[in-house]
Amino acid sequence: MQPLIPLLTTTLPVLYALSVAAYGRAYADEASSGGRWGPVALRVAVLLHVLYLSARGVTEGHLPLASAYDFLSATALSLAAVYIYLEFRQGIRTTGIFVLPLVFLMQVISSAYGSTVPVEQPPLFPFWFELHTMTAVLGYGAFFVSAIYGILFLLLYREIKANRLSFFFRRMPPLETLGRMNVSAASAGLVLLGLAILMGIGWARLAHVALTKDPKTWLTIGAWLLLGFAVLAYHRLGWRGPRAVYASLAGFTTLLLSRVVTDLFVRSFHTWR
Amino acid sequence: MSAAAEVMAPELGFFCVGLNHETSPIEVRDAVVLSDEEVGRAIRALRERAGASEALVISTCNRTEVYARGVELPNPPAFVAALLHEIKGFDLTGTGKSYLYTYREPESIRHLFRVACGLDSQVLGEPQITGQVKDSLSLAAKLGGSGPVIERLLDAALRCAKRARTETGIGRGPVSSAYAAVNLAGKVLGSLADKQVLLIGAGEMAGLAACHFMEAGVGQFMIANRSRERAEKLGSSMKARVISLEAIPVALPGADIVVSATSSTEPVVVEPMVRNAMKIRKNRPLLFLDLAVPRDIDPQVARLQNVFVHDLDALGGLVAQSLAQRRAEIPKVESIIESEMARFLRWHRSLAVKPTVTAFRSHFDRIAREELDRHRGRFRPEDHAALEALVHGIVQKLLHRPTTRLTRTDGEGDGIARIDAVRDLFGIEEEGPGADRDAR
Repeated sequence: MQPLIPLLTTTLPVLYALSVAAYGRAYADEASSGGRWGPVALRVAVLLHVLYLSARGVTEGHLPLASAYDFLSATALSLAAVYIYLEFRQGIRTTGIFVLPLVFLMQVISSAYGSTVPVEQPPLFPFWFELHTMTAVLGYGAFFVSAIYGILFLLLYREIKANRLSFFFRRMPPLETLGRMNVSAASAGLVLLGLAILMGIGWARLAHVALTKDPKTWLTIGAWLLLGFAVLAYHRLGWRGPRAVYASLAGFTTLLLSRVVTDLFVRSFHTWR
Repeated sequence: MSAAAEVMAPELGFFCVGLNHETSPIEVRDAVVLSDEEVGRAIRALRERAGASEALVISTCNRTEVYARGVELPNPPAFVAALLHEIKGFDLTGTGKSYLYTYREPESIRHLFRVACGLDSQVLGEPQITGQVKDSLSLAAKLGGSGPVIERLLDAALRCAKRARTETGIGRGPVSSAYAAVNLAGKVLGSLADKQVLLIGAGEMAGLAACHFMEAGVGQFMIANRSRERAEKLGSSMKARVISLEAIPVALPGADIVVSATSSTEPVVVEPMVRNAMKIRKNRPLLFLDLAVPRDIDPQVARLQNVFVHDLDALGGLVAQSLAQRRAEIPKVESIIESEMARFLRWHRSLAVKPTVTAFRSHFDRIAREELDRHRGRFRPEDHAALEALVHGIVQKLLHRPTTRLTRTDGEGDGIARIDAVRDLFGIEEEGPGADRDAR
């Protein structure tokens, strides 16, 4: 499988770029409800992405999540997968152009700068560690999608409120659908990240790793609680519209900051090399 | 073009005489709208008195048009004007104005296609006209007016309309304020099936909006009106709950869409009323469509979160936007029309080939039969059937390629030269070209 890796490293950004172009074209053409080629290219890209990460996993002997670039690639895959799921569920393809450029960008950076990082000391209980990492990455992907739909919701909300009914208004799904997509993706992210946190705590106990002084853990738990509150407020407190979206965006920003702060300013076992 | 080709080239002779919203006022259009029975009379007159081989009449509130083919009239508009006078008792020439337009082919074909696509409609791209053209064809077929050519022509026009609707944006977007209101509601609330509409006012505008909302799948209505009797009359068709204007604050929390169209000079819905309703409805989105002038909804209401207020100006903007978009699609529709017209004319020209092909095959069949009869005595009777099959097979194989090439010709240029060559080489001019020129 090793010879596949350099080929796929180059092919993936190209395929994601093609998906972006196809979704962009479908968005620009008002006669189209989303086009056919975008979803095809995206599905092929996601399948090859899975193959790429599997090939690397087999070759390197561990989950390919040893560096920040690996994390970007895995998050790109997770974002694309969550988007495909939502597109399938809602039958809406005109929002792809707002999600996929991010996937493309993440994969381009990962392909351009990423390199195989040897794992000096494999973690104890690797199964639980890798499961924790995978669910966390999937959770990040879901929160990214939720944030994008949240921003789209706010833009459309402002347009409708101000009676500025532009091209964007015509191409977007109903406001209610965007709100539902925002909350659905956030709920999925909440479950996945919740599982990741639980598995992480469980793994840390097994491996005798101290979490109490790890800022990443606390920031992530904080972000999770904030996002949990946003989802709960939507379902139980009747928070609708911008208020619910701002709450979920605040949670997402905290989550993103926790990642950046951990990587740039703190040394802990959560820091990417 | 050679003499033979001139004889064979089929004359479509298709013309259109009519009037529409652009050439006549509504009183004139109303006066000449034809019922099914009157369409029958017109078609009979066109066939029997004008000698039309096929005829079709499209009569709607915005147009009355007569299409006919195979007729040689010196003055078609005068004939149609006299016909309408006879049937409807309305003299189109009496006013001194010319309401009628006349198109001869190929403009008549192009005009029919434009009508079917909605390019000639008062509301650009409206879809009803396609159904009306279809109904006109059914009626003409039932009354014996249409024949193979007009049926084929209408098929092409309807295909053209379908393509225009699916391949372009000519039918996209709302083009009336009431429909724009429904469109906007869908854009804010998504599916309207489980939504409740509160109509404030029971006038024409409210009724029209209610009608569009019903078509969009809304099943629950409330009507608040000063006159209960009028509200009940409007509500009877939609099983609406009728309430008084004073009960609006109580009804508001249960509504998702409020359509207001009263003649009140003061706002009917004010901000505290909506603020309270939003608390009860747990901040679920609430859409106000204010179709009244002066406005029924206090502008302060729009400041509340998750409350959307749109008045006639906003809806008018949406309509103008849709119309501008539809206008931008006209060139695309025209291109479809040209391609479908070319396809139809190609088919029609190919009819000229049929008599030649028939004559060509008869010529070879006759020679084969004559030769078989001449030599039959030289073979045993039990071999005759096998011999006939053999000769027939050879003739079929020999004729296959030339026949296929002739059938594929479009009756123009090289095609005509090919037909000429065949007729000249095999001497089949005398076998009655054009005898079945209109066969399908």
